[in-house]
Amino acid sequence: MTEIYLRLVDLILTPVLGMLAIMLFLRGHDYPGGGFIAGLSVAAAIVLHILARGAPEVRNRIGRYLLPLTGGGLLIAVTAALIGLYGGTFFKGMWTKLYLGGMELKLGTPQLFDLGVMLVVVGMTTTYLLNLSQQGDVQEDEDEDNWEGVA
Amino acid sequence: MPLTALFLCVTVLALAGPALWLLRPHRSRWFAWLAAAPPAAVAGWLLWQAPAIVQGQTLVENYAWAPDLGLALSLRLDGLSLLFALIVTGIGACIAFYTHYYYEHDEQQGYFYLLLFFFMASMLGLVLANHLLLLYIFWEGTSISSYLLIAFKSGYKGAVEGARRALIVTTVGGLAMLAGMLLLGQTAGTYQIDEILAQPGLINMPVFPWVLGLLLLGAFTKSAQWPFHFWLPGAMAAPTPASAYLHSATMVKAGVYLLARLHPTFALSPLWFWPLFVIGGITMVLGAVSAIRYRDMKAILAYTTISALGTMVMLLAFGQAEAMLIVTVTIAAHALYKAPLFLIAGIVDHSMGTRDLRRLAGLWRTLPWVAVAAILAGLSMAGVPPTWNFLAKELLLDEFYHLWTHGEAMANATLLGAVGLVASLVMAVAGAAAIFTLLWEGFLRAKADDPHPAQLQHRPPFGFVLAPLLLAMFGALTALGIGFFQPLLAAAAGAIAGAPVDKTLKLWHGWTPVMIMSLSVLAVGMLLVVVRRFLRAGLETTPPWLNGVHLYDRTIDIIYGFAYRLTKLVQGGPMAPQAAVTLMAGIGVVLLAFWQVDWGALPAFGSEPPLPLEFLIMGVAAVAAAATVRAVSRLSAIISLGVVGIAVTLLFVFYSAPDLALTQLLIEVLTVILLVLVFFRVQPDKPLVDTRRPLRWAIAAGMGLFGMGVVLASQFYQVGPSISPYFLANSLPLGQGGNVVNVILVDFRGYDTLGEITVLGLAALGGYAVLRSPQLHALRRQLNRRLQGLMGSDQPAPSAPVEPQTMGVSDD
Repeated sequence: MTEIYLRLVDLILTPVLGMLAIMLFLRGHDYPGGGFIAGLSVAAAIVLHILARGAPEVRNRIGRYLLPLTGGGLLIAVTAALIGLYGGTFFKGMWTKLYLGGMELKLGTPQLFDLGVMLVVVGMTTTYLLNLSQQGDVQEDEDEDNWEGVA
Repeated sequence: MPLTALFLCVTVLALAGPALWLLRPHRSRWFAWLAAAPPAAVAGWLLWQAPAIVQGQTLVENYAWAPDLGLALSLRLDGLSLLFALIVTGIGACIAFYTHYYYEHDEQQGYFYLLLFFFMASMLGLVLANHLLLLYIFWEGTSISSYLLIAFKSGYKGAVEGARRALIVTTVGGLAMLAGMLLLGQTAGTYQIDEILAQPGLINMPVFPWVLGLLLLGAFTKSAQWPFHFWLPGAMAAPTPASAYLHSATMVKAGVYLLARLHPTFALSPLWFWPLFVIGGITMVLGAVSAIRYRDMKAILAYTTISALGTMVMLLAFGQAEAMLIVTVTIAAHALYKAPLFLIAGIVDHSMGTRDLRRLAGLWRTLPWVAVAAILAGLSMAGVPPTWNFLAKELLLDEFYHLWTHGEAMANATLLGAVGLVASLVMAVAGAAAIFTLLWEGFLRAKADDPHPAQLQHRPPFGFVLAPLLLAMFGALTALGIGFFQPLLAAAAGAIAGAPVDKTLKLWHGWTPVMIMSLSVLAVGMLLVVVRRFLRAGLETTPPWLNGVHLYDRTIDIIYGFAYRLTKLVQGGPMAPQAAVTLMAGIGVVLLAFWQVDWGALPAFGSEPPLPLEFLIMGVAAVAAAATVRAVSRLSAIISLGVVGIAVTLLFVFYSAPDLALTQLLIEVLTVILLVLVFFRVQPDKPLVDTRRPLRWAIAAGMGLFGMGVVLASQFYQVGPSISPYFLANSLPLGQGGNVVNVILVDFRGYDTLGEITVLGLAALGGYAVLRSPQLHALRRQLNRRLQGLMGSDQPAPSAPVEPQTMGVSDD
């Protein structure tokens, strides 16, 4: 019966944590936050989801995206570093300013890199959370048939 | 000249793989052309550059990578690189075209292209690299793609074993080579290859023998020289396009390329000659003679490839520029006959369902176009005039004949010439016999040995045969116009020798003794086909312990056995002793450090006493830590541990470090949940009477001292000037960010972060593999059953409150 409450909390808190993550990520370069912390917040949201809904359901929904997400994050990070090659050396920070109706927005390769960090953190943490939480479940043996692709 | 062209060539090939993979190329015939387009375009561009390059110009491109570390993305195109690059891209285009038909309508085609182009880009980068470490990176790129391609049919045990063997042998050699490269780079003061080769004084350095030995180890393992040759036949488990391309035309020549690249300076050393001459010579003879024994078409081709690589290495031992011309002709000739032969073996395998010569016969009737290609390429391989390999063998025999008869210039020339001539003749005869056997048994004879000969399963479409047919015709016929290729081959030879080559290649020298030898070799080769049964029987009596694979497997078994025992010693058994071993290693470090501290020179503890609030927070942490240790149930231990973490978070807040506090908080929450997820469902250990309690106390206390020592040391021991003011001052102007922590993470220390997230990514992969592994699940089920048996009915196993399926139905 506790799940009812957890689901309620999940319903309210998951979007809040998601928005918190976005905020932490966007402000991260100037104020407390950044890709790593934002990634952890997303992971916290997913944990809540796992606790409320159970690992199998969450896995069905997002499981197959996790490793591509990790790889994609690494790819983004390397790409950000490679863009620096254009400016002189590998990893050189490149910045540009965008003016949107009087609002000034600065964009740079370090932020892109930070996005990569965030994706890797989300992918890695969630992979472990999902697999470890499902590890405890004994009744998920219906999963056995899906191993060919893994091993 | 465009400045980014070489870089672009490598990039185009690297991106072609993922692009093709995404397009799912098995759907339409047109993808064969599309796949062949990128390498063909690069080859076209190289040909366009060729007139300038063969006149001695070089094309150099440099990009700063990390100038402070001396790392540069440096590419260089000269005669030698041009020859190799043309082989890589030209043959590569043929292979890419052929692959589409090999995997026709097969979903795996895209994945194969992905690996193939990964390899192609690495190989092109390897022959263009002008920086030792860059060369190493591309070198390992080819090793990894080779591993993945050999293991492509992952369900087949031989493929996985062959792949692992090839990977271990080549990467062990590669690591040795890396050590050699580092020694060389440190001694020379630069890693730029052209700058190193401009320092002939290097060969007199005391460290040079080490450099040479390590680099040779890398080259010999990669190019399958005796006694490391055994991995190459095992690599034949790869799909045929990969065998034709990697394990014959290109990758295995990487070692030869490295030797050729270093030749101008290294060949001046007296140490250079003997290892190359002896190892290359043994490999040359051994490969050709072994080839006769086999009945698998690919095995025959693999052993003759080993033989050809040996020939190249042996010739590279010499210093004269003319000998280098033979090397370049041999390289070109080998690529032109061996690649089509492999492709033909693939077609035969595909159409007849086997490539075992015992079950094959009369293929000229069943597959006429394939037979045309096979005979052209086969005659080229045997060295029948006027093919490319006829020229290569003629030059080889001539070199040694000349050395034997007129070798006044070198010490022991007569003896060397005689030995070399005999070895070359044996190689030529055995190679001719092997390929004539293949042609006769497979294509020409009327009846197979086996009572159940293979039947035609499906006729290959003409596109399938097109690539080998073109290559075979090119290799068999274009040597007539050898004058046209002379500048390219001479430029490559000049780059190897470090001096211009003025010898003119001619196909016909008149009735010289060498010509007569060449023709007798062919005659003897044909004779040997007649008596092949006795030859095979004789060769099959070789004792198994002479086999390289046998030795290798024994070595690996010993290493595995040692690793197993070591792991069992330090990491076996339950959790606590394992942790104790790790922690004791940490304590050892502390003890060592304490031993070395000069206590008198330590600065006094001058910090201010903590505030009451700090005392309070630390008190909470200490109480929680004590509670963790004393906790009876796991859940309460986990929660107390969480309290310790939260107390630390508070401390961070107190010192206004919001980033750290946030991170710590989130990590604490996630850790507690992870621990709950893992431990909550595991049955607790039985409370044992712990006999080793004092030891564990000591370990815990030691670890506490270790932590305290690290903190104190970092506080009071200032090794150099602090870097913090630099970060604080430059975060906004240089890093464009107000949050110093974040700027350090993503900008100032971006390299570190990249390394860390790479480790995270690998950990995710590893965790996924381990936690989802069938073995682990089987073990878990076994454990559960046993526990259920032990516990009886009152505790229904460790089955946690798993939600019933009815409640798990999702809303959507």
